[in-house]
Amino acid sequence: MTDQKDIRNFSIIAHIDHGKSTLADRFIQTCGGLTEREMSAQVLDSMDIERERGITIKAQSVTLHYQAKDGKTYQLNLIDTPGHVDFSYEVSRSLAACEGALLVVDAAQGVEAQSVANCYTAIEQGLEVIPVLNKIDLPSAEPERVCAEIEEIIGVPADEALRISAKTGLGVDDLLEQLVAKVPPPKGDPNAPLQALIIDSWFDNYLGVVSLVRVVNGSIQRKQKVVLMSTGKSHLVDKLGVFTPKSLNQEVLNTGEVGFVIAGIKDIFGAPVGDTITATDHPCETPLPGFQQVQPRVFAGLFPVESDDYENLREALNKLHLNDAALQYEPETSQALGFGFRCGFLGMLHMEIIQERLEREYDLDLITTAPTVVYEILKSDGSTIEIDNPSKLPPPNEVAEIREPIIEANILVPQDYLGNVMTLCIEKRGVQKRMQFMGGQVSVSFELPLSEVVLDFFDRLKSVSRGFASFDYEFLRFQEAPLLKLDILINGERVDALSLIVHRDISQSRGRDLVEKMRDLIPRQMYEVAIQAAIGAKIIARSSVKAMRKNVLAKCYGGDISRKRKLLEKQKAGKKRMKQVGKIDIPQEAFLAVLRVNKDS
Amino acid sequence: MTSHPPLGLYIHIPWCVRKCPYCDFNSHRAEGSLKERAYVKALLLDLDEEIPFIEGRPIETVFFGGGTPSLLSGEAIEAILSGVRSRLNLLNDAEVTLEANPGTLDEGKFEAFHVAGVNRLSIGVQSFDAAHLQKLGRIHGPSEALEAFRRARSVGFESINVDLMFGLPDQTLEEALMDVQTALRLSPTHISYYQLTLEPNTLFHKYPPRLPGDEKTWMIQEAAQDLLAEAGYSQYEVSAYSRTGKECRHNQHIWEFGDYIGIGAGAHGKISHPEAGIFTRTAKIKHPEHYMKATEEGKSLGSRVKIDKKDLPFEFLMNALRLRSGFQESLFEERTGLSINVLEPLLSQSVDEGLMIRDQGRIHCSLTGFHFLDTILQRFLP
Repeated sequence: MTDQKDIRNFSIIAHIDHGKSTLADRFIQTCGGLTEREMSAQVLDSMDIERERGITIKAQSVTLHYQAKDGKTYQLNLIDTPGHVDFSYEVSRSLAACEGALLVVDAAQGVEAQSVANCYTAIEQGLEVIPVLNKIDLPSAEPERVCAEIEEIIGVPADEALRISAKTGLGVDDLLEQLVAKVPPPKGDPNAPLQALIIDSWFDNYLGVVSLVRVVNGSIQRKQKVVLMSTGKSHLVDKLGVFTPKSLNQEVLNTGEVGFVIAGIKDIFGAPVGDTITATDHPCETPLPGFQQVQPRVFAGLFPVESDDYENLREALNKLHLNDAALQYEPETSQALGFGFRCGFLGMLHMEIIQERLEREYDLDLITTAPTVVYEILKSDGSTIEIDNPSKLPPPNEVAEIREPIIEANILVPQDYLGNVMTLCIEKRGVQKRMQFMGGQVSVSFELPLSEVVLDFFDRLKSVSRGFASFDYEFLRFQEAPLLKLDILINGERVDALSLIVHRDISQSRGRDLVEKMRDLIPRQMYEVAIQAAIGAKIIARSSVKAMRKNVLAKCYGGDISRKRKLLEKQKAGKKRMKQVGKIDIPQEAFLAVLRVNKDS
Repeated sequence: MTSHPPLGLYIHIPWCVRKCPYCDFNSHRAEGSLKERAYVKALLLDLDEEIPFIEGRPIETVFFGGGTPSLLSGEAIEAILSGVRSRLNLLNDAEVTLEANPGTLDEGKFEAFHVAGVNRLSIGVQSFDAAHLQKLGRIHGPSEALEAFRRARSVGFESINVDLMFGLPDQTLEEALMDVQTALRLSPTHISYYQLTLEPNTLFHKYPPRLPGDEKTWMIQEAAQDLLAEAGYSQYEVSAYSRTGKECRHNQHIWEFGDYIGIGAGAHGKISHPEAGIFTRTAKIKHPEHYMKATEEGKSLGSRVKIDKKDLPFEFLMNALRLRSGFQESLFEERTGLSINVLEPLLSQSVDEGLMIRDQGRIHCSLTGFHFLDTILQRFLP
């Protein structure tokens, strides 16, 4: 058992690609958590999607034992944090379990906006922030400039910032020493009643709910009866332990420690993130503060391609919601797409990840409608409503005002690309607020309509700045704007799932672009497909996909039936992710055509 | 319910002078001298292994396919057919077809085939246009094709099929119709008229030639079909046109979900045992060398797999709906042992949509359905 004062709980704050996972791997290796062979892959990102995309989505932890130069062995608990702007909420959760954070900055690229935002969160939560310059082995490394940026932009002294290379291992020992010396041990009373904060929960098909907890006060033991304060339900602790990163069962988790708890909870709402676990016989009086509820900003409909999958989709969403409180959903019915769910996401990446997880982990074929934001509608009768779905916009005579959400975007960009970024922001109806030159970078802030940001802003920002610009945003207010509903008709039928709300000034061109893009995305089929864009009763653009002449294979392969069958199966598989609207098969991409309108034109 | 369907014999000859860039059949370049005698021996050993599964049923059709069966000598074909006769009951009026490449005709070969018992020739003409033949990588020119047909007639072949392709690289409507008209002047009993498609694992797939677009190909098809119909060739299958009563019986049986023994490298077969409710598909080792070696060493020649009951309706439709006149409901029940109702609700849906027609116990595609056969079949995929 580790003495409480020898425990160090910390996170790594880093922008994507600045080397967080590599550094975590290096720590694990240094502390002997895994053999060389097991180190073959980066281990901390456990979901397939995380590994493939090189980003970390969910909090994970790893417990390491580090023998320091003072002769003592310290228990280091590294709690992982996501690096993407969409997941700032997850970051605050992870940081709540820590006393310190390593701010890892790429010594060649410099500070990026998301790291700034996450670092502010860490400072607000009272964490000791230790700046580190990584990738110092790169020829393009500019440690002096980057140190100046850290001090100027983030306001953290960087004179003692270590210069390391997680890749080669250079400076990693010194970093661990600095970590032990600077990060304070966890506070908390080992004799007080148990209070354990649920940092994360996920559902395992064999074990039920698995929760990652930080023991704030007291201790939690195997075979102990515990109560979840939000549900009031009692459970017996079956298993607890730590990740090393392999899961290692233990008998007890003491004050200040971080580990997993499995208490036979089969109900996926049984252990919500932010909840407090206490002891049944000696309960604490009040729950820990938990986490603030996050507001989803981007909404889209998710519909199963096969209507039979509706209940499976509900079940899958329930499970994902368990460790992703930011994911919201409620049933939605579309004339075109049938039964599905209106889902709220933190941002576009969050939406893509949820969709991918549903398809990959739950084997569902889904149609996602174009993302939209929440609009505030002032009705003619003086009442206001919020709509998260363009098809719910009341008829024009009942609408006095449509108000759209405005955000403040904080962008960090090297001076060379400032012009491009400004042009982009203005194109997106942005209003410049502040600009500050610091080091080689410029910090510029714009007020932008969120609807413009969710579409393709992030991708465009990256492309106009060759990947160097980064940004972070926060919601400011709803603001009136001349907005219209644009409808799409397929063979004369209005397809509710394709409606969108657009600014009046671009409505004509958006309608034309959309119709053209959809013509390219809808494959030729047995029937001609007429595509129209309309505002109210007025058709503003039209196009069509000609009918296919035939679809039949000329040959029959001399009695070898398997060949032809494979071809047919392949064709049929291509129809997955297509939804039949009337007699027409519409592919998933066509529902998201609006996202692609500006991209390749 | 328990009667056997008609039985055919398919014999695969896996060699060609050279491989055509569009061909994805099991064919191999013939290098040096053909191991003809060894292959004949292997075929008969292969056939010996099939005999126990045939239960004495007569053979109604034989089909030499390839590759290029006409690469074999008359003696080899003679040896194969007498081997078949000595082992099985080959009916006197059996249809015996051989696929011939106009570029492989030595003097006297057709006559030898005819004497050996081949009574139907299928000539792989593909086009009568020298430039197109060259682009298709064919080893013959227009004059060889015409000469092959003339010789076939002169040695007494009455039933002759001409294979033609359309939608060839850069082909114009006029060129395509010229091919059809040339074929019609020869007055064959049967014309196979099929569209060139780029198949995976072919040279054309890797380096696609410029094909006429969908619209132009469609125009060619419609105009060619009109010409064929005017000349008295009726379309009885997606790519097959014939004079009345001159349909290819062997293929007709396959499309009607009949049985066929498949011998030779890469040959496929289908044998039913309706009394036991068992339907099997066979596939032989593809590479000729490996195939021959396996026969010599008495090793397994390939696979024999039971068709899953759930696959039967689809497999039946995949064949039978290719026929313009479709099938009798009773034939479906006879050949699959299943009730016609297993096709519901998809059958009714397709009828309602105007893609299929169900009329007095017969089921077939509508004209639209016939053009969208693959769309229909996809629905019936198990």
